[in-house]
This record gives sequence, structure tokens and C-alpha cells, in this order.
Amino acid sequence: MKKFDTLSVLVFVRSWGITTLLVALGIFFSIWDAPIFGTLDNFSLLLGSSSISAIFAAAIAMGAYSGALDLSVPGTAAVASVSMAMVIGAGGDPITAMLLALVIGTAVGLFNGLIVQTGLNPLAVTIGTLSITSGLAAILTNGLPLYDKMENLGWLGTSNYFNFEIGDFVFSGIPSTFFVVAVIYVIGTIFLTKTRGGIRFLAAGGNAEALRRSGVNSNIYRLLGFTLSGLIAAIGGIVTSAYTAQATPQAPTAVLFDGLTAVALSGLSLAGGRGSLPKVWVGAMVIAVIGNGLLIKNIQPFWTISITGALLILALAGEHYIGKAVAKQAVAKSNVSAHKEVKTAGAK
Amino acid sequence: MSDKNLPALDLQGIDLHYGYVKALDGINFHVKQGEAVALLGDNGAGKSTLLKLMSGVHRQTHGTIRVHGEEVSFHSPRDSAKAGIEMVYQDLALVDALDSATNLLLGREILRKGPLGWLGFIDRKRMVEEATSETERLGVKIANMTRPVEMLSGGQRQGVALARAAVRVTDNANGILLLDEPTAALGYEQKVMVEQLIKRLADHGLAVVVVTHDLPLAFNATSRMVVLNRGRKVCDIETKQTTYENIVGWITGAKEPQKDMQ
Repeated sequence: MKKFDTLSVLVFVRSWGITTLLVALGIFFSIWDAPIFGTLDNFSLLLGSSSISAIFAAAIAMGAYSGALDLSVPGTAAVASVSMAMVIGAGGDPITAMLLALVIGTAVGLFNGLIVQTGLNPLAVTIGTLSITSGLAAILTNGLPLYDKMENLGWLGTSNYFNFEIGDFVFSGIPSTFFVVAVIYVIGTIFLTKTRGGIRFLAAGGNAEALRRSGVNSNIYRLLGFTLSGLIAAIGGIVTSAYTAQATPQAPTAVLFDGLTAVALSGLSLAGGRGSLPKVWVGAMVIAVIGNGLLIKNIQPFWTISITGALLILALAGEHYIGKAVAKQAVAKSNVSAHKEVKTAGAK
Repeated sequence: MSDKNLPALDLQGIDLHYGYVKALDGINFHVKQGEAVALLGDNGAGKSTLLKLMSGVHRQTHGTIRVHGEEVSFHSPRDSAKAGIEMVYQDLALVDALDSATNLLLGREILRKGPLGWLGFIDRKRMVEEATSETERLGVKIANMTRPVEMLSGGQRQGVALARAAVRVTDNANGILLLDEPTAALGYEQKVMVEQLIKRLADHGLAVVVVTHDLPLAFNATSRMVVLNRGRKVCDIETKQTTYENIVGWITGAKEPQKDMQ
């Protein structure tokens, strides 16, 4: 059966294209940027610099899986992190402050979900929520960033763990933000692939009617998508504040585009219903690798922005054409097997 | 179970009015267990309306519906599903990105035993086994249970959708399966697969009603044909005892209705 045909090549490209791209970029920059890029320390730097966009990418992915693009993610992050910073600045317990931020994020997600369930366009609704939440964040702080006591969050934002020295070899450790990414992605992946809730969640995004006809209330799973998106957006806000040691009321819309690109690179159709979180992380890494590789060469960072945009379009185009080609090939193949079946049935 | 001689589904004197318009006029229709009946007619003849009545989407103005001899009153598709009637719509309602096994078992996923099961963890291996044994029992061949249904051909997808509906009705004593244009948009080979499938489902003991425009399908897969014309039943005849020309005549209205119809 292990035959080298067009279909298996296409399926391989669809399943492994993004990972192959990451490896190819890694090799390319290791040679071009030698000897800086291909070091363990630079790798740990990459894990860190991809973290924030990886978290926001997960938030967007959760929305997209349930069948809706949630554009309110940056606003949710802003209002959550500003609220946290106000509690911390007033001398409150940081953990309580973070829990408050998570509750706010979840509430914004629920709000989005409930409104979209009335039948309004999710894009328009979440753009509205983006304005409401970023406006609220600015009202809360008079438009100014909050710094007070934020340096105490270094354990979450800027510390490295598991650093060690063996003789001359020094490893600077794994960045704290990456642990947050790992927790979100591992739990998210287990949920999506191993649990009944995850399967129904994906089904609700792919074909809500199928779920309804199976006697399952699909609305609950749509709501869950927005809620998870809001919750993870709040985590993104918390981590961003911890990393920069400040909470700004400006919604970080740039991460929205990085996140969106990572999600598109992962090959999931933005119409929902399919997807793999690990690939979204690989997508976030691709963006980080390009930024890092160009930075080492002293190329202006503006290039990274344009290249990220080009990647987004390329990823969508690739998904579109490969998806079509796979379907065509698969149908062509199944026709062949149907033919055989008909013949044997006739022979009986 | 039920009395073999009683029809699985029996409609008597069905009228359906939309305002002043009579969509259905005094229709008698029945289907027995193990029988596949074709419901034919031109566009607007009322065949889809009649099917929707059986599946609980519409309600008749006059007349009675009996399932296994018992009079029923459907207020929604859920009611008809409870009575053991399953409808396969033209659009199939499959989740493209999920595999056949998951699509078949959607809504009744198999959980793992023990604490992981309480957390909602599914047992993928048992799901594939269950889906395989269910489809084998129905005689439906599905090439690959773990392949996303978007990578299956139209006929195979139709197979998954039919099997899903069939499994649900067979779970519920003697099932009744309603098919709405099952071969619309299928190629020749795939049509043949669906024809064979319908025959097997009937042989398996299901009562099958097929609404279709596809006369070859009706002749190859069903044992009885009912033709509607402008809301009235114009013929009800064993497939073996009629011809293409007669059926086409009844569908277009060129041929006089059978004597005992009105």
C-alpha cells in the first residue's frame, strides 16, 4: 500500500508542510546567521519571543475551531491586564489579580458568544467588542500605562528556568512564558483530540447541523469557543504585562495579526471544524524564526511585518489549493475502488 | 417486536392545506418492514411534502399516521425520531474533518472506562471497532474508518450518512428510514453503490422510503413504487409489474391514474 503517488504527497504537504517549512527555515538561518542562530541559547530566546504570539494564536484558534473568528482578542487582553495591574498597584495579591483578569476574559468571551448566538455576524460583533473593551481599558487608566509593582511579575514574564553550566557550556534556561504556552497547548490538544467535548466542539465548528441532528445542543459548543478564546486572550494579556512589566490600555492589535497568521499557517480552514493546536504553535515559531533570523542579520524589523503578511496570504492560498487538490485526488481514487466493488458484486 | 403484517408506517387519508392550496389530497401510503418503497413525482407533486410529514417537519391537516399500528402525532422531527423514524437529508450533514467512525457515533461517543471516562475521554479504538461492526452488520462497506470523510467519494459519504441513520433506527426496534434524493449529484458508479446499499438495508429488515427523481434508482433498489401527481396518489404498484413508460406516464400525468386510487 505504501505507494508514492500524488495523493500521498499532497496529504503529506497538508499535514507536514508547515513543520517542513520551520525545519527548512531553521537550517537556512543556521547557515546564513552562523554561528549565532543555531545555538541552544538562541533557541531558548526563540521559545520566549514566540510565546506571546503563540498564546494569542491559541485564543484565535479556539474561536476559529468553533467556527468564528474572534477579533476582540486584543481588547480582551487589554482590559484584563489593566484590571490586573490596578489590583496589583493597589497592593492586592498578584494571584487574585490574575484570577480577576481570567474571570474578565471569560466574561467577555461569554458576552461575545451570547450575542453571536442571536444570529449577528461574529466578525462585526467581535470588532464591536474590541472597541468596547479597549475603550474600557483606557477609561480605567485614563489612557496611561500602569507600571506600579508590575516588576514583581518577573517570575512569570522574564525569568528563565532550568539554566545550567557544565564547564564552559552555559545554557541560559527556558523562558517562563514558554511554560504558559506549553500548559495551554498541551491541555488544549488533549481536550480537542481525546475528549468527547473536544470532538463535539470541532463538530460544532465544522457542521453544526450534523451535531444538532445527532441530538446534541450545538449552541453550547459555539459558546464554549468564544469563552475559551476570551479566557486565553486574558492569559495573553497577563503574560504580556508580566513580560513588559507594564499594563497598557492600548489593545495589542499587532499580536492579533501574528496570531491569525500562525493559525492560517497551521493549515486550518478559518471557517472552522478542523485543526491541530501543535501546528498553530509551529506557525507561531515560523514567524518568530523569521523575525529572529532577520534581526541577527541586522535587517530592519519592518521586513518581518511585511513577510508575515505575505505568509498569511500564501498560507491561505496553499490551504485552498492543496485542500481542493486532495479532495480531487481522493475522489478519483475512491471511484476506482467503487468500480472494483461493483465488479465483484456482479461476479457473485 | 411488532406484528409483521402491520405496516411499519401507515398514512391514511392525508390532506395538507397551505391556506387555500391543497398540497396533499387524500393520500394513503404505507411501508412494511423489509420493504423499500420509491416515492416518485414531478417537482411540486407533493412527494417531499409527504416525506416531511413522515419525519415530523410538517403536520397534516386531516388524516392519521400510524407507526407499527399505533397512532402518532408528530410535532417535531424529534418526535418522529423517537418513534424510530430517521431521515437522511440531501446535504448528508457530515462533519468533513472528522473520520467516518466519529461521524457515525457523533452524539453517542464511547468513553473510556474509569476516571478518564468521567473526564470525558473517548475510547478511539472501541469507537472504530463499534463503527466497523455496526456498518458490517448493515452490509455497508466503508473503506477507511479513520479517514476524514472529506477524503471519501460522494458514494462513500452517502454510505456513511445512510449507515448513521440506519444504525440509529435499528437501535430503536424496527426502524424506518426516509431518504431524500440519495443519489442527487452522484456519479454512475456511486449511484450503483447507493442502490445496493438501499437493497441491503431493506433486506436487513428496515422499512425504507426513497424520494427520488432518479428512475433507474427506483427500479433497481425498490420493490414498490408510489407516484404522486399534483398532491394526489396516481399509482401504487409493484416494481416488477410496471415499466418505465408507465411510470413516466403517471409522473407527467399523460397516463390515467390507476382505478382504485381515488
